[in-house]
Amino acid sequence: MTLVLPAPMARARRLRLGRLPVSLIAGGAILLVSLLLALFPGRIAPYDPLAFDYAALMKGPSWAHWFGSDNFGRDVLSRTIYAYRLDLEIAVFATITPFVAGSLIGALVGYAGGVVEAVFGRVVDAVITFPQLVLVVAIVAVLGPGLNNMFIAIGIVDWVYFARLVAAEVKVQKRLDYADAGRAMGYTPARIIFRHLLPNSITPAIVYWMTDMALAILLGSSLGYLGLGAQPPAAEWGVQIADGKNFMTTAWWMSVFPGIAIVVTGLAFSLVGDGLAELLRTRK
Amino acid sequence: MLSFIVRRLLQLIPTFAFILVVIFLLVRLLPGDPASAMLGDRAIDADVNRINHDLGLDQSWAAQFVAFVKAIATGNLGESIELRQPVLSLILQRLPVTLLLTAMAAIISLVLAVPLAFASAYNRDKPADNLIRGIFQFGLSVPVFYLGIVLLTFFGAKLGWFPVGGYGDTWPEHIYHLVLPALTLALTLAAILLRNLRAAIIGVVGAEYVDFARAKGLRPRLIMLRHVLRNALISTVTLFGLSIGTLLGGAVVTETVFAIPGAGRLMIDSIYGRDYPVVQGMTLALAVLVSLTFLVTDIVQAWLDPRVAR
Repeated sequence: MTLVLPAPMARARRLRLGRLPVSLIAGGAILLVSLLLALFPGRIAPYDPLAFDYAALMKGPSWAHWFGSDNFGRDVLSRTIYAYRLDLEIAVFATITPFVAGSLIGALVGYAGGVVEAVFGRVVDAVITFPQLVLVVAIVAVLGPGLNNMFIAIGIVDWVYFARLVAAEVKVQKRLDYADAGRAMGYTPARIIFRHLLPNSITPAIVYWMTDMALAILLGSSLGYLGLGAQPPAAEWGVQIADGKNFMTTAWWMSVFPGIAIVVTGLAFSLVGDGLAELLRTRK
Repeated sequence: MLSFIVRRLLQLIPTFAFILVVIFLLVRLLPGDPASAMLGDRAIDADVNRINHDLGLDQSWAAQFVAFVKAIATGNLGESIELRQPVLSLILQRLPVTLLLTAMAAIISLVLAVPLAFASAYNRDKPADNLIRGIFQFGLSVPVFYLGIVLLTFFGAKLGWFPVGGYGDTWPEHIYHLVLPALTLALTLAAILLRNLRAAIIGVVGAEYVDFARAKGLRPRLIMLRHVLRNALISTVTLFGLSIGTLLGGAVVTETVFAIPGAGRLMIDSIYGRDYPVVQGMTLALAVLVSLTFLVTDIVQAWLDPRVAR
């Protein structure tokens, strides 16, 4: 019997920057800048994000305050920069547990098949009937507002999407020759699943993870806006927009700039997701 | 087809059972109890015990679950602590508003997405396609509440074309009041649908049966409607159905932004007011609504593509 090597085991072609999809480069560049803002806000932001300045209440954009100042005289630019830390934290921490747990569960479900898969299918059906925002809001209602409770609430729902993606892929992979070869060599199922099948099945989950981080930022800022996520006076985009919403006609800059930050960051994550999908598709 | 519908209806049973279990566990498994949450810092043991007793939380889990299912089966969702009204009547009062908003948003998103997806697919990779996709990529990254505030300020407060909130008293007023909120809600869904439909159209246009229809000399419009659209719609219908939940979730936020007295607004107000029975009832109502939407979606999908029903 000839052993057909699956694609990922073939030596990866060396990547050249010029060959990368444009969306990946553009999105990656924006995320890199965002990461710098999140890591070193103190070096970049011109003011303390929480400092009141009663001499500069609701002043429009100027050289002193590029994005203007809010109803407490806080610098909107500085608050928007400091918010990068919190909002990127939300993107990562809200999704990493669902990504890891969902992928592991998905691998087991896909390998087991049969009854396990049927039960899993019903669980998925039921979980996706709860509109995510509604379930998250309901859970936050029981746990109380705040970031940690928000992470728990998102995690309870979110793992399902990763599990479904990985399960579908593992189901295909486990029928390929290399999985048979592993079984013939007497490898334990655990070794086959986690050392061989999972690494070859994780791609769709990684691509979805990028989209999911964008969704987490949208969800996190929505909860911040509703007063159920990050709590004032924290610098968080949703909180900032909520602070400014009653001043839209007189001080639009309070809400508009943090909103632009959300849009740009969300766009960057989806560009990276698209680019990654394209890259991995062409490599296959 | 009939047997498919029956089979699909039977599948609702485990789904509903699971929904009930999740909502039941929501109160019991998570740390903290509704009584302390409702009373906040003012909690004294006597009050906590009284509320726990009122909610039946002092009985065994099994007894609680039986009572819970029985109550729901008879339409008794408890009473609002804040508003002193049965939760069911509150929901029935507020839900139609949310449904109208969601329906308007769904229609707007289809009206936007279908023609633009055709324009995009038939001009693939040309400037028109890139422009349309660019705009809708933006639609995917804008949070609903932010878009709502911006539209509200511009078209409501600045230009005065639309009311800045509320719901009006008559049907024409209702619809007029909901135009901006529905547009806000529609943009994200339109973006999702457009992306999917464009890809589907590109896939279908290359299929042999479309070449054949063209070779037969059918008019392009007929080919587009009868062959391309119908087949391209199959996956989009599924996506559309799956997105109704997202739309309802978005409605919760939109109603808050535009001060619309709908079910979503009721839910958020209930959370601020620690009105636990209302939150529980709303979650149940929305989940049931979404699972019924999934049912309809599956039936429509089977009608479009009879292979699904087999």
